[in-house]
Amino acid sequence: MDFRFDIIIDYLPLLLKGALLTIGISILSILFGSILGLAVVLGKMSTSWYLSWPMSGYIHFFRGTPLYVQILMVHFGLVPLLIGQTNSIVAAVAALALNSAAYTAEIYRAGIQSVDKGQTEAAYSLGMTKRQTMRFVILPQAIKRTIPAFGNEFIMLVKDSSLVALIAAPEIMYWSNAMRGQYIRVWEPYLSAAVIYLILTYSLSKLLASIERRLEG
Amino acid sequence: MNPIIEVIDLTMAYGDHPVLHQVSVNVAKSEVIVMIGPSGSGKSTLLRCLNGLEKPQGGDIRIEGQSLMSPAVNMSVIRANIGMVFQQFNLFPHMNVIDNIMLAQVQVRKQSKEAARAKALELLKKVGLTDKAEHRPSSLSGGQAQRVAIARALAMEPSIMLFDEPTSALDPEMVGEVLTVMKQLARDGMTMVVVTHEMGFAREIGDRVLFMEQGVIIEEGKPRQLFDMPRHERTKAFLSKVL
Repeated sequence: MDFRFDIIIDYLPLLLKGALLTIGISILSILFGSILGLAVVLGKMSTSWYLSWPMSGYIHFFRGTPLYVQILMVHFGLVPLLIGQTNSIVAAVAALALNSAAYTAEIYRAGIQSVDKGQTEAAYSLGMTKRQTMRFVILPQAIKRTIPAFGNEFIMLVKDSSLVALIAAPEIMYWSNAMRGQYIRVWEPYLSAAVIYLILTYSLSKLLASIERRLEG
Repeated sequence: MNPIIEVIDLTMAYGDHPVLHQVSVNVAKSEVIVMIGPSGSGKSTLLRCLNGLEKPQGGDIRIEGQSLMSPAVNMSVIRANIGMVFQQFNLFPHMNVIDNIMLAQVQVRKQSKEAARAKALELLKKVGLTDKAEHRPSSLSGGQAQRVAIARALAMEPSIMLFDEPTSALDPEMVGEVLTVMKQLARDGMTMVVVTHEMGFAREIGDRVLFMEQGVIIEEGKPRQLFDMPRHERTKAFLSKVL
């Protein structure tokens, strides 16, 4: 079996451009996803059923259906509904953020529930309201504890973002598919993609490990 | 004079398990009440009912005339006026000592940061921990942490202080420093309700001692009377075990 490095060199600029977009989409998605996820979990843990039921449904829906389906629905349904036409990058970020929010909501929930009940009681005993207690006492402690789980979620998101090639967002997989189409070859495009993802996720996990170490120190 | 705390026929159960059975007690202003009894007797639960951390099923609690059972009651306003000190201190670990004492002053009392800081420093001086202002709670000994917790509660200028076994989690050599602060507080005229196993403290500082068992106040009286001449067999049995 011959292995044609020349076509990889040919496509490298496009693959790297794709990698930049993968990074961009992933960062925006985890950012929006974690903000939305916080809103979702606060709603879900609320004592008002009209907040907790819809948010609970949200989590069930986005965790219980394939990301593939969600991307198509957002691209062909939600985004055109909101802005009149569709745009693959907007749809990619929206779909990944909506999906990630459901997972980060559960991460926050675990963090919030891991804070000792005595903290809430101490805050209440000082006359603080539920909202003040959550904001000043519980969340600062909970979020610090969720950072490792967030790192994992971010790495998952980088890999999941490969699915948005489906709607022609020109990220890594989009260009690998194009390469396969042009040269009718399999190993070069997909091994290149795999190596780029490996480099991304490996550096990310190293980065996160050093952040965790710093937080503990 | 009207009592500052009125507990009327208070009844509470966790599921089928009764914890308080028609408990009634009044506390006068500046009075120091000490509650003693075996674990599971309901004394901590009764204390926690007084600031709404537990929700009793029956009876009533009135704080300065205001019923806690009324649906219109704003618990945050009531609680801001009742300090509480916990067995496990419950300091906020992500904040410095001084921020622990400032937080509720700023957020609840809407004090300026400067005023809150000045008050916090004054209270730290009172509990003898001025040099720990910028330390994290995790760097404090148990006795220091509990004194900070007392300062944090006092910063709200409460009219009542509740103590839930404040020395039970401390190493023996640290009990004294916390009791000293509490004694000073009692002498300053604070209304205090204290759940404790420190019989010496109860005898010295308590105006009235309540002995509870199985969710009922079995006996109450002046410390000297209750400790030296208990009337009930169960009180005698308990005291013979702890004294």
